[in-house]
Amino acid sequence: MSSTEPSAKPPMPVPDELTQFFWDGVARHELCIQRCQTCGHYIHYPKTICRFCQSRDLAGERVSGKATLYSWTIATQPFHPFWVDKIPYTLATVELVEQPRLMFMSQVIDCPEEELEGGLPLEVAFVEMSSELTLPLFRPARG
Amino acid sequence: MVTGNRVAIVGVGYSTVGRNTGLSPDELMIQATMASLADSGLTVRDIDGITSVGTEPLNDAWMLGIEPLNWWASGLMVPAFAYSALSAIAAVASGFCHTALALRMIQQQPSGASMAAGTAARGNPMVASYFAAAAGDRQFLSPFGAGNPTQWAGLLTQRHMAEFGTTEEQFGHHVIAQRYHASLNDDAIFRDPLTMDEYLASRYVSKPLRILDCDYPVDSGAAVIFTTEERARDLQKPVVLVESYALTAIRDLNFEILEDMVRTAPAESARSLWSRTDLEPSDVDTAHLYDGFSVITFQWLEALGFCPPGGAGPFVEAGNTRLGGSLPVNTDGGACNVGRRHGANFCIEATRQLRGECGERQVEGADVSVWSTAVGPFAGAVLLTRG
Repeated sequence: MSSTEPSAKPPMPVPDELTQFFWDGVARHELCIQRCQTCGHYIHYPKTICRFCQSRDLAGERVSGKATLYSWTIATQPFHPFWVDKIPYTLATVELVEQPRLMFMSQVIDCPEEELEGGLPLEVAFVEMSSELTLPLFRPARG
Repeated sequence: MVTGNRVAIVGVGYSTVGRNTGLSPDELMIQATMASLADSGLTVRDIDGITSVGTEPLNDAWMLGIEPLNWWASGLMVPAFAYSALSAIAAVASGFCHTALALRMIQQQPSGASMAAGTAARGNPMVASYFAAAAGDRQFLSPFGAGNPTQWAGLLTQRHMAEFGTTEEQFGHHVIAQRYHASLNDDAIFRDPLTMDEYLASRYVSKPLRILDCDYPVDSGAAVIFTTEERARDLQKPVVLVESYALTAIRDLNFEILEDMVRTAPAESARSLWSRTDLEPSDVDTAHLYDGFSVITFQWLEALGFCPPGGAGPFVEAGNTRLGGSLPVNTDGGACNVGRRHGANFCIEATRQLRGECGERQVEGADVSVWSTAVGPFAGAVLLTRG
């Protein structure tokens, strides 16, 4: 960014009773995902019932932050003022290693476009997007 | 064949279509309805069921003087015109009503540039959602710079390329074929022929998705009238019959975290569609497959069994989907060229092909057509035959 002042504020997340654990985790630099305490399945986005066993006993749990790249797209057009001076950026659907098809929408950073490929191992990184917003993004796993 | 009453399409119609027409949704609805009534030879007194996505059906019926109404339905988070049409078909098939009007009204969305400038949010609830603080599921999208449909379409396109080796040129062949069909359609907005160089030079919106892979936002209204086969036989136009239909949802509306981005709701919808008919993919003469983004047409080609899973790229590249090919697809030019109609244009073009009304772009001997809408979490498809 060319300016120290962001050109616009990002759309800020509004945590609710289902999602507060997620953003509390982000503040601690931990990636937390809702997990059924009865059958052990992870569920994202957070819901009020487990779609695998219909248990109501659900809680946020820290996950490893390790993932593989499932798909990606280079955002070349901003759809919000905050992103005008930040394009291009790489939006990515990543598969968290804790469970097959446990998908998470984020960005991939620190990776040249030509090195993006399906299955690329990734790890979470907590990035301060503005003074108000930190996000769990992903970068190629080290080692 | 679906049990219950055999259902027929007897009237189709469009409103004025274009950018910034200044027409209200009510005006678009009225124009489209009157056009479909004129096409059918019916009057409002013959309609006793109504369904709409984009306007409020009870208000529509009241304004038009449709009374009494025996059935109505409306939808918000639904696969657009597939929901209107399939609801109407089910209502007529079951006898809930005897003649149903299915509507889809769309008002043009603002450009990405005006959204980025922050000038588009005022007064538009759909756009305002990008700017508002992100609540509910959107807290996992908007703060990350995600949530625009072109972006999930970019993800679906990239996954098709990563999994099957589909190339940008193969999407280009699809876009060029559709444009050629549009050149033969007086109703199309874009009619100039397109070359591969022009396609490859067009800008990315969300790479690998290009602007020419996206449908064209317009104000539009579309109306289709469904009734029983018995009534249809007394009317003025050739009879077009509903052979099979399917409406399917496989998950919630979060396209960005689909668990399988190349086998989505169309795959399930197609399975259901074929399970309810003795016809097979090889019986289909023309296909009219949703093209909100190019990759959606590819998913439908594979889902419906016109080519193997992952085979849409080579199938399109070989020229199969062009007029004169083995399966002409989107002979009206698709929503990329006739403007966004959310599937209604495909129902109407399939009907016109089966009636033999398509002039220069008519597929000779078209007896069976399929049309489809949507992708990802939800989808619908209808198989039509010449009566």
